[in-house]
Amino acid sequence: MSGPAWVGQGIPQVDMLDKLRGSTKYIADISVSGMLHAVIVRSPVAHGRLHAVDVDRAKKVPGVRAVLTSADTPHRFFGPHANDWEILASEKVRSFGDEIAAIAATTLDAAREAAALVTATVEELPAVFDAREALRDGAPTVWEDRPGNVANSFQISRGNVEEAFAKADLVVTDRYSTNQIYHAYLEPIGVMAEYHPSGSYTLTVPSHIPYKARLTYAGALGVRPDQIRIVVPPIGGSFGAKYEMIEPLIAAVLARDTGRPVRLVYDREEDALIARSRPPFWFHHRIGVTAEGMFIARETEVVGTAGSRVFWSPAVLATAIHRVDSLYNFHNMAGTGALAYTNEAPTTCMRGFGNAESLFGIEQMIDEIGEKLGIDPVELRQRNAVREGETTLHGWHISSSKLPECLERVKEVSDLDNQRRETRKQRGLTGVRRGIGVAIAHHVSGYRPILADYDGSSAIVHATSGGRVTLFVGEPDIGQGQATVLSQLACDELGCSPDDVNLQGVDSALSPDAVGTLASRATTMAGNAVVAAARSARQKLDALLADHWRTTPDRLHREGEVVHFGEQSLTFRESMALYAASNCGLPLLGEGVHRPATQMPDKDKYGNPSAAYPFAAHVAEVEVDCDSGQIRVTRYWAVHDSGTILNPSTARGQVVGAIAQGVGWALMEDVKVDLGRVRNPNFLDYRIPGSGDMPETYVEFVDAYEPNGPHGAKSLAEAAINPVTAAIANAFHDATGIRCHDLPLAPERIWELLTGARAQSPAHDAEEALI
Amino acid sequence: MTTAAIHEGSMPVTITVNGRTEKAEVPGLTPLGDFLREKLGLTGTKLGCRAGDCGSCTVLVDSVPVASCLMPVAQVGERAVATVEGLGGEGDLHPLQEAFRNNNASQCGFCIPGILMAATAFLDRAEPPSRAEVVDGLSGNLCRCTGYESIVSAIVEAHTLNREA
Repeated sequence: MSGPAWVGQGIPQVDMLDKLRGSTKYIADISVSGMLHAVIVRSPVAHGRLHAVDVDRAKKVPGVRAVLTSADTPHRFFGPHANDWEILASEKVRSFGDEIAAIAATTLDAAREAAALVTATVEELPAVFDAREALRDGAPTVWEDRPGNVANSFQISRGNVEEAFAKADLVVTDRYSTNQIYHAYLEPIGVMAEYHPSGSYTLTVPSHIPYKARLTYAGALGVRPDQIRIVVPPIGGSFGAKYEMIEPLIAAVLARDTGRPVRLVYDREEDALIARSRPPFWFHHRIGVTAEGMFIARETEVVGTAGSRVFWSPAVLATAIHRVDSLYNFHNMAGTGALAYTNEAPTTCMRGFGNAESLFGIEQMIDEIGEKLGIDPVELRQRNAVREGETTLHGWHISSSKLPECLERVKEVSDLDNQRRETRKQRGLTGVRRGIGVAIAHHVSGYRPILADYDGSSAIVHATSGGRVTLFVGEPDIGQGQATVLSQLACDELGCSPDDVNLQGVDSALSPDAVGTLASRATTMAGNAVVAAARSARQKLDALLADHWRTTPDRLHREGEVVHFGEQSLTFRESMALYAASNCGLPLLGEGVHRPATQMPDKDKYGNPSAAYPFAAHVAEVEVDCDSGQIRVTRYWAVHDSGTILNPSTARGQVVGAIAQGVGWALMEDVKVDLGRVRNPNFLDYRIPGSGDMPETYVEFVDAYEPNGPHGAKSLAEAAINPVTAAIANAFHDATGIRCHDLPLAPERIWELLTGARAQSPAHDAEEALI
Repeated sequence: MTTAAIHEGSMPVTITVNGRTEKAEVPGLTPLGDFLREKLGLTGTKLGCRAGDCGSCTVLVDSVPVASCLMPVAQVGERAVATVEGLGGEGDLHPLQEAFRNNNASQCGFCIPGILMAATAFLDRAEPPSRAEVVDGLSGNLCRCTGYESIVSAIVEAHTLNREA
């Protein structure tokens, strides 16, 4: 066979036409007969003892079928990391917006009217709204059984960090903070629940880790996981928010109580008010370096916000503390961190997953070190970056890395050295100043500890007599183009065309069990599984065709969608008709299992958790308007090693989209929480980048091959957001000489930094005098 | 019509959507977006914020892009409404749909119906729009996935496809 026909082609996404015709059915577009509408009644205070919830008036509203409180739910505490979730609050409310009652009615209006009539008797308690305060003695206690408010902690060390610091020629110490970010998917959260008289449930949930979520839901409902059928509809954006949610459980108890299907869909304000956002972190970093610019020690301390309950913040914290050791070799490290319970909405993971947060500070400090030692920032990164083939401090094995090439290329295409010579000459604190900054990043392609039972993925290929191919995997597509690359991989094995293929939406009644679409794992893991499944299907088909032509499978020859043997040939469709006819109608089935050689880290957190590591080097150019504090990203360059690029068009889309989210995070986005209540729960006050905020962007993928990935591919979409805030902050420093330690670099903060710097700058006084 | 009919009681509404005349009884203040989705089953129009901030619900009213979450259905009157469902025919793509496909100008897809409708305004122009003009023209539409680059490319390309057609 010649080279792959489909892998490497920038074909349109396979589900694109439905999306362009408006026929994709997201959760809010799905209604079923007899369906009720649900509304949640929420706590009006951030912290309080819940004495009574009066639902009598609500129950009398025409159309209302159920008004439930905690007393009507299976009364148990549960949760993915700690047993601190309840379906509805029982004795206490711990954050503004905590769920205290739920209503199902024949119309949304009736449900809303009833919700307004529920009254809760709440004795307000002292509350705590800052993780650092929550961890101090005497802070109000969020959970009585967790005095001190420590929701989670993480410690790790390698080598002898104090000895190494003592030997260092230069030690830099600094504090950085990263802020609370709303995922701001365009599709608000929604779910549908159905209860069956047999005692089982069907939950239609836009979760991209549906099987993991099902374990949590089964625990909460007091049923076996197989008593929940979980169906994943198309997801209108998630970026980490739509993992394990409380909403399916609320809908489930309403469905059980009423015996009718219940749909719960938020409007934007409710979605943003209770958003489980990116956790804010406060970092202290210390880095020790030799005079030659070799890193020899790193110490990091992190405090973060878990909020009133623990969602996925512990995994984010752990990542923020130790993932960077597979980007740079610090030789000795020590990291500690704590997440605090506070009376705020729970936080959870978001694209970048702690790694992006940690790099915001570390990548700025590396520039600082370069400046102090007189070493070029690209050169300093080259000297200390981990290399292909290396096993890093925590036992992570870097099976492929073209990071050095990425750095060289990004320097070249952005003309970094010449540009920086110019910007340094023009550096200043007034008028409009231009700056340019570099930052690098990496990520994982899957993460072994997500699910205790197994890593990897499995897939089923199903092809009908008409040549229609359906792929079954347990990793949902979240709009990133996974269905498309999986189809491309399958087509090259099977000898069919993407027009013949569709990816079955994940449905636990049909799809393989799976870890899910998270940790940048789906293309690598499900991709390998699909290749294996399609290959097993093709082997069956080849055996039949060989039999048909009285030859052996190795003498068949495939060209595009046609199989040849000598002068004879059959198209894929014809061969499928033959297969089905020869097997009394049986579809062609292939199964594939991919078991990556990942390791569950041991008790010291040592072991290789991911099959592959992608890398990126970015350069940002900014213009700083020193009068207003406004920063604009004017140009941007991104060079990536993601192994083989399966679809250059969707891959570019992932990088550009990640840069947009990074630009938003760096410059404008900030969930404003005041006394536990989100003050900007809408797109007018919580601004995400619009078309006019995006820089002109250059994207390049270097030639690379990852031995553990399908056709040499590895992950992409998180590595692409990880360096963005740091590249922009380094560019701001280049323009003005000011370090910004906190996100976002929004006009107020930048204006204050500039004003402060001007007040301390004698050069500026002279400049002012001239004016 | 009486004030009461506009606010709570139902009133008869006759509107033309994608060339078909539709009649229903609804409170007159029902947003056009809800009317399209719930009364007519045209769920291609998405409600992303219900506040006119995100543009996902954009439809055309007499060829003018409108946030259907803000316009009461009673205000539409005689004007013709066009939604994404009316954009292409069966097996027959509108130039915008073709260009969006060529450029992979969608990821999760939720914002796309609104963006397609907003973008129709560019196709009627004689001269192809510049990228900067398209960027300006999209200021009322948010997309969280794509970073807009592929969308802008698609709209510029759609103008050419439309001229050729």
